[in-house]
Amino acid sequence: MTESPGQAGADLPHPEDATDAPLPEGLPRDASRRLAELEDRPGHKGMFTSDLSVNEFLLIKEVGFHPLGFVMGSSIYHLGIQTRKWSQSQELSKLTQAMYEARQLAMDRMDAEASELGADGVVGVRLDVNYYEWGSDTAEFIAVGTAIKAEDGHSYRNRHGKPFTSDLSGQDFWILMQTGHVPLGLVMGTCVYHIAHRGLGQTLRSTGRNAELPNFTQALYEARELAMTRMQDEANELSATGIVGVRLEEKSHMWGDHTIEFLSLGTAVARSEGEHTIPQPQTIISLDG
Amino acid sequence: MAATAGDELPEAATRRLAGGAWSSGLSVADFASCLDMGMEPVGYVQGYAVLQWSWFMATGGFGTGLGAGLAGIGGGWSRPSQGHGQYVEQWQCPHGFVSAEHRMYGANYELTWLEQSWAMGWGLATSRMVEEAKQLGASGVVGVVDPMRPLVGGSTVEFRASGTAVVVPDAPRPATPFSTYLSGQRLAKLIEAGFAPVAVVATLSAVRMLGYCITHYQLAGSTAGSWYGAGAGGVSGVGPVDQVNRAEAAARRLARERVRAQLGTDILHGATLERSEREIGEGDLSIQCTLKGTRARRFKDFDPLPDATPVVRLA
Repeated sequence: MTESPGQAGADLPHPEDATDAPLPEGLPRDASRRLAELEDRPGHKGMFTSDLSVNEFLLIKEVGFHPLGFVMGSSIYHLGIQTRKWSQSQELSKLTQAMYEARQLAMDRMDAEASELGADGVVGVRLDVNYYEWGSDTAEFIAVGTAIKAEDGHSYRNRHGKPFTSDLSGQDFWILMQTGHVPLGLVMGTCVYHIAHRGLGQTLRSTGRNAELPNFTQALYEARELAMTRMQDEANELSATGIVGVRLEEKSHMWGDHTIEFLSLGTAVARSEGEHTIPQPQTIISLDG
Repeated sequence: MAATAGDELPEAATRRLAGGAWSSGLSVADFASCLDMGMEPVGYVQGYAVLQWSWFMATGGFGTGLGAGLAGIGGGWSRPSQGHGQYVEQWQCPHGFVSAEHRMYGANYELTWLEQSWAMGWGLATSRMVEEAKQLGASGVVGVVDPMRPLVGGSTVEFRASGTAVVVPDAPRPATPFSTYLSGQRLAKLIEAGFAPVAVVATLSAVRMLGYCITHYQLAGSTAGSWYGAGAGGVSGVGPVDQVNRAEAAARRLARERVRAQLGTDILHGATLERSEREIGEGDLSIQCTLKGTRARRFKDFDPLPDATPVVRLA
């Protein structure tokens, strides 16, 4: 877990003199100006931007939150080269660390934007990786989402005092709150793994037989479990009771067939205080065509 | 499924399953309806098996193997000497025509090596997944996903099975956790209808079709065969390709029979049938059918549903 690039939002400059004001640490000047436009202040009526659909907007309002603004963070990362042994399956720990840190930086910056808006959390977070022609071995990691704030003044920030992040849609967020859970943060774990090449001898020996290759099974199994354990460690660190919507993604990025990144992602949740009863599902007949 | 090397869970798995936050691969809506049914997620469970997967195994072929003997008197497919399973059918050229180009013999047969490899891979992956669930003390696994994908290279495939392990706090734990492809509302509806999930069931059937002369002409879309003679030997422009139809029907029948044999008195719920084919050579096809579903058992009589509310969506 890397340090947050700074707790912004203390004394916010007015848009007119923003260009001369010192930058909030870690946020580009344009970002703080854009965010300042969004805020409600005396003499300035704020507005919000969001990528929520109308239905999502309605449900988020229904559950007692208000969208504050569309927030993002990015990080351009140079992914170094790590030597791999041709015939050995192993984790490439340097690449694992790079992939993790780059995403974490993007998320932290998004978090800093949300903090600046005084948000309680960010919903609908998407994490993307882009590659550009101008940078070999360089990837841009982007995190975007919509910052929201509770209308009743209750703080939903997590135990680090930071806005929660989650990849939940508005609908998912509503349902989750109905079940008596609150999101704590988008948690992830990653593991970059090199799969051994099979030697000619091995291939010849097993030609004509269809059998399990236990070494391969174990290697891939191990890689996925490592990614999931790391995700779970992050959730434990937030004192979560569980993780919903776990996804396990596999990508080779630009490393060729034999090097695979296993990424697991999910939203850490905890039970909220108070009694919650899930509304009884009703039988309906849809009159739509 | 028989236990083999690699049934031990990897160290990372043991550590992950040991405790802390549970993880669930369910969507939030499915998660909510699980809670509503009285099931609590305890962890995301998974199982894998990587298999050597080589089509060189395919026995028989044009003018090879046993067919070499037949090829002496004319072109033809070899009849498989072994591994053809329950289904074998043969065709013979009606023309009485001898040539190296002319395929005098044709055969359809069950491709048992493929079926057995698939059953082994799928069985290992799902049983390992259930094993993880057992280690968590789970009652069952819901929302099972079980794809098969080629791995690096191409001569290996990986079978995967994953799902969300759940406990039913008020019910006794079964000795072996149940498993089901269903989750959320669809599972709730099954239980509402009075059925409990038992296990995921899947089978693959494969039929190899080695075409004889008539099939060959039909597949090539030519009526060249018609000049060989009238009657049985002729090929008209439009008509059923008998040998392919027979192979397709056999593959489906084998899949159905094999699944039915596993069901006992239970039912198969939410069955899906997928068909695929692979062209091994000209006029040489393998047709595969995968039949999957959740084995379910009636545990209570069906209660009529409450009156439905008509709804118009504004979206």
